[in-house]
Amino acid sequence: MKRSLFDKLWDAHVVEELPGGNALVFMDLVVAHEITTPPGAIAIEKDFGDKLYEPERIVAMIDHVAPAKDAATAIQAQTVRVWAKRQGIRFHDIGNNGICHVLVPERGYVTPGMTVCCGDSHTCTLGALGAFALGIGTTAQAGAMLAGCLILQRPKVMRIEITGQLPPDATAKDLTLSVIATIGFRGGTGYVLEYTGSAVRALDMEQRMTLCNMAIEAGATTGIVAADATTAAYLAATPAAPTGWSPMQADDDAEYAATVTIDAGGIRPVVSWGTNPGENSPVDGVVPFDAPAESLAYMDLQPGQALRSIAIDQAFIGSCTNSRIGDLRAAAAVLRGQHVSVPTIITPGSQLVRRQAEREGLHDIFQDAGALWTHSSCGPCLGMSMGVLAAGTRCVSSSNRNFPGRMGDGGRVHLAAPAVVAASAILGRIASPTEITAREVVLA
Amino acid sequence: MIVEGTVLPIPRANIDTDQIIPAHYLTRIDADGMGEHLFEGMPDGAHLLALHPGAAIIVAGENFGCGSSREHAAWALLGRGFHAVIAPSFARIFHENAYNNGVVPVILPQETVDELMGARTIAIDVDNETLRADGGEPIRFSLDPLRKQFVLGGGVLKYLAAKIPAVRAWEAAR
Repeated sequence: MKRSLFDKLWDAHVVEELPGGNALVFMDLVVAHEITTPPGAIAIEKDFGDKLYEPERIVAMIDHVAPAKDAATAIQAQTVRVWAKRQGIRFHDIGNNGICHVLVPERGYVTPGMTVCCGDSHTCTLGALGAFALGIGTTAQAGAMLAGCLILQRPKVMRIEITGQLPPDATAKDLTLSVIATIGFRGGTGYVLEYTGSAVRALDMEQRMTLCNMAIEAGATTGIVAADATTAAYLAATPAAPTGWSPMQADDDAEYAATVTIDAGGIRPVVSWGTNPGENSPVDGVVPFDAPAESLAYMDLQPGQALRSIAIDQAFIGSCTNSRIGDLRAAAAVLRGQHVSVPTIITPGSQLVRRQAEREGLHDIFQDAGALWTHSSCGPCLGMSMGVLAAGTRCVSSSNRNFPGRMGDGGRVHLAAPAVVAASAILGRIASPTEITAREVVLA
Repeated sequence: MIVEGTVLPIPRANIDTDQIIPAHYLTRIDADGMGEHLFEGMPDGAHLLALHPGAAIIVAGENFGCGSSREHAAWALLGRGFHAVIAPSFARIFHENAYNNGVVPVILPQETVDELMGARTIAIDVDNETLRADGGEPIRFSLDPLRKQFVLGGGVLKYLAAKIPAVRAWEAAR
């Protein structure tokens, strides 16, 4: 049988078939952060003699609340810190850290053909490197640390073929939000999304990460992009500069359980108006007339309302979706010489990204524009720290989830690409970057 | 094993884990203390819980537990006395977390779930994979035969620990 890329990855990691269609699947790498790791690490210490399968297959970091915001989060960080030291686990403490899904690829820890898991749903980001990478719970992560494996049901594979070429103003964020809108918020459940086609090949690695990052928002087990010369060049430039991996490709005429074809040429900059990421529309459009009433009630919006009429209270650029150097450059291109009119938080995805941005002077552009430039953290994306929303306030965000209460109880989130967030921050309402360019022409 | 109790119906799809337990409570290094914050992220969560005090079984719409991987969602349900969720479908990570913590995830067709929304009490026979609503006719459902064992006893980590020699042998021959 002709196999998909995912089929090959799966077949190469099955240790044993288990009852009920389950399989014992070997994990080449376990990523461990301070929020979801401690209970599992403690369980292994207490019940299994503190013995990990192979500590060198784990990389740990402080990322969600960095540095600790209170005594409880300090205990979480300290638990991981002490555990990593005791176990000889690679560890990235504050100062040398980053959001796990930004740090792990940029350091060169993931190579094509690997399996990766982490107690974090956005681990699918790493599928951009041609790896099978998936989010799991604390107990499953503990199992992978204890026995090197997950117990998984083999997912089906959905080919997402993205043909043509993205228009100049559309980004990988718009593409991934459009994929979710196309297949539905739960349309990927039970599937791995294998992204193919000319528009995917044309994406750089950071953009592929943005694309794969939101596979979970369609319910998919993960997303995956086959490695190519772009991947090789990216990996060669990482600090670890890993070698010895070989690219894995789907067979020609591989069989897929489902195939969806999307024309990249039709992708427009989009923004979400509802309470799940699939509820999004072009920035220049309106809230759909058939939008679910419950979503609109939470978001305090009306059907038919122009999206660009929606006033905002805060803007956020960051998160594992859009906080890499290319995202910051895109935001800076809009913010250069402008002023934000609402509180705006810009949080780089890692300390390496932060330093690169500062070498390029992006931090000056942001701060000259009146934005808050922070160190790396998951930040307000999940409403834990560094910019949590007040009830009833509205934020345009480059992050990945607009669920009720996601960025703070009662807060309202509109998801968009960094350039759209930047333009919105300037105008104090949802805005298109072209409005800023047009304004400049008039002012000149 | 029988899971029996009164029902909390939530006739909505896509109840995500941010609604089940907001992230700002994920600051402990154990699984305790989550129950008191169950559904705090849901706009009418407190109201729903108050309407059904002492309920032990949730009946909900499609895609229950979508979003974050936080196992705290399962811990919050358990901490509040919920031992089963009945829905037409579950998000993958929550589904696994439920099994790993003994929250029985029962999948039934939408029409059956819709009927169960009106039930007062439900008794779930986990071993035999049947349930009865208000003493009515048994309704069959299917559990994952392997993960069912994790619910009934033993636990997934113990199971995996026994696999370590096989995993090491596989890796050596890789």
